[in-house]
Amino acid sequence: MNPYVDRRTFLKAVTAAAGTAVLTIPQARAVAVKARVVVVGGGYGGASAARYLRLLDPGIEVTLIERGTRYTSCPLSNEVLSGSRDISTLQTGYGGLAQRGVKVVHDEVVGIDPVKKAVTTGTGGTFGYDALVVAPGVELDFGAVQGLNADLAESRIPHAWKAGPQTLLLKKQIEAMPDGGRMVIAVPPAPFRCPPGPYERAAQVAMYCQSHGKKKVKILLLDANDSFSKRPLFEQAWKALYGYGSDGMIEWIGGAAGGKVERVDAEAMTCHTAFDDIQCDVINVIPPHRAGRIAVDAGLANFKGAWCAVKPENMESTAQKDIFVIGDACVGGELSTGNGFPKSAHMANSQAKVVAASLAARFNGLPAPKPLYTNTCYSVVAHDWGFSVVHLFRVENNQWVYVKDGSGISPVTFGTKEKPIPVPRLYRRMEAEYADGWLRNLMTDAFS
Amino acid sequence: MSKTSLIALVTAGLVGGAAAHDNNIEVLARTCNGCHGVGGVSAGPSMPSIGGLPRDYLARIMKQWKYDERVGVTMNRIVKGFSDDELDALAGYFSRQPWVPAPQRAPADVMQKGRSAVSESCEDCHGISGNDPDVDAPRINGQWSRYMELELEKFRSADFKMPHRKMRRAANEMKPADVSAAARYFGAQSR
Repeated sequence: MNPYVDRRTFLKAVTAAAGTAVLTIPQARAVAVKARVVVVGGGYGGASAARYLRLLDPGIEVTLIERGTRYTSCPLSNEVLSGSRDISTLQTGYGGLAQRGVKVVHDEVVGIDPVKKAVTTGTGGTFGYDALVVAPGVELDFGAVQGLNADLAESRIPHAWKAGPQTLLLKKQIEAMPDGGRMVIAVPPAPFRCPPGPYERAAQVAMYCQSHGKKKVKILLLDANDSFSKRPLFEQAWKALYGYGSDGMIEWIGGAAGGKVERVDAEAMTCHTAFDDIQCDVINVIPPHRAGRIAVDAGLANFKGAWCAVKPENMESTAQKDIFVIGDACVGGELSTGNGFPKSAHMANSQAKVVAASLAARFNGLPAPKPLYTNTCYSVVAHDWGFSVVHLFRVENNQWVYVKDGSGISPVTFGTKEKPIPVPRLYRRMEAEYADGWLRNLMTDAFS
Repeated sequence: MSKTSLIALVTAGLVGGAAAHDNNIEVLARTCNGCHGVGGVSAGPSMPSIGGLPRDYLARIMKQWKYDERVGVTMNRIVKGFSDDELDALAGYFSRQPWVPAPQRAPADVMQKGRSAVSESCEDCHGISGNDPDVDAPRINGQWSRYMELELEKFRSADFKMPHRKMRRAANEMKPADVSAAARYFGAQSR
């Protein structure tokens, strides 16, 4: 039963508050159209952009083009694998955006013409734009792993890196895994969507196995990289909760130790690295990523041929004028120090607000406000154990500046370096609880 | 441009002169929305609503986090990236938003138990419904009860640095079984 009986009334109040807090322009039908913005892709980035454009100026006509009619949040979808979260809590439609006056079109964008400033869709629609926001997410490169293809990913070797049916398919395989079985999670070379995701997944699967009489299961993280996000926090939690290392339930093999999966054999259910052939019960290969195909086809992927470079002040593509690329498809941040934008939902939401503010200013003949980019990302490794990373980027002299003081992971220990003391369990439990509040707010801030 | 739409644009943070261009409070506040909602109205039970809370309360808490005088978990890191002036501006901004309660229904026995605990431990500073707080206290009528339960746990834990003596004492004097009931009682208040 939903404990929030008054949720409907409350959501009405939220909507009303959103109106007064941000804008007092009445939502009159008579508002003249100042400009047309087309948004390609209805994930966190695209949905947030559409929402904030309408919040900031209802005189902007916004068309959101998205294939799917339901969206499943990737953040916290690893909790579905352990059974601790129902997938329906991650799902939403586009009705909230439509109510804000966003024209929601369920179709696939097949072409972007930056000269005529129009996009075309699979069913033959054409949509002209004054500004285009491209938020296609990532495309998975199945061909990069020998023996893998898109069909196998739909059956024997799911990636579950786009939440939805894939998540449920992987969950079924995990449930069918015998005690003493082995699961491989193959991690692609960075950058990939949700940097802490594979490691959170290992913990969630371990939690499931531990409480379902499968204490002898082995979860092997075969990683193309030499280190990973929130590493000291994950290693501490794995060790304390599930056993970590060659004798533990979770084991991590980095790139230098031959962690990269070169080939899979779906018939024999084996994974092959440069050093080893590994028999598995569940193979979860997360293939390497690049920017979503439409961005690549439109010539926007001008960074290493895979990602879309954008301008720090407003996320405009460096390849095409009046096209803004946000979310996992873009590349940004302080790359020179290794502090790039993480590919996260919260980051996409933040980038969307920057674009919306910049465009709303532009269409009103005003200077764009100075942007801020923020990220908060929680990982949940057990019901009562979570942690987070936060990022803050400012823009100085048209460059992103990573603000170290407003960034970083949860503490690994309390006390001093010389005399460390363990972080109280209540602290970890609070971050596990905050993760759920964060998810609900982030979904609301993008889709409502 | 008509006068109404100019006013609207000012409210939307699009107009406001050179100072606003450099440090636009709407842009700053928007970074909080991801976790606390537009206007500081949270949609997630473990995250507090912050719109409509007193300016001094908000500014004090954020600075205590920034200088590690208080444990805020995730917030201790986030606020360190902002200047004291920015934190003051954020406190001012959210204090000007309307307080929107999120009334969460609780069973009658919980309400009864909660009310008795509240009248014993909380009423002096927050008011019996949580809507009549002392000058340095937040209003908590219709605040998310899950958030309040967790906050009470922090005040009751010896491991957490929580600087408000009166609140710490009141929280620690509560019977363990009353903590949740009090939080749920306040969470159920609509006004």
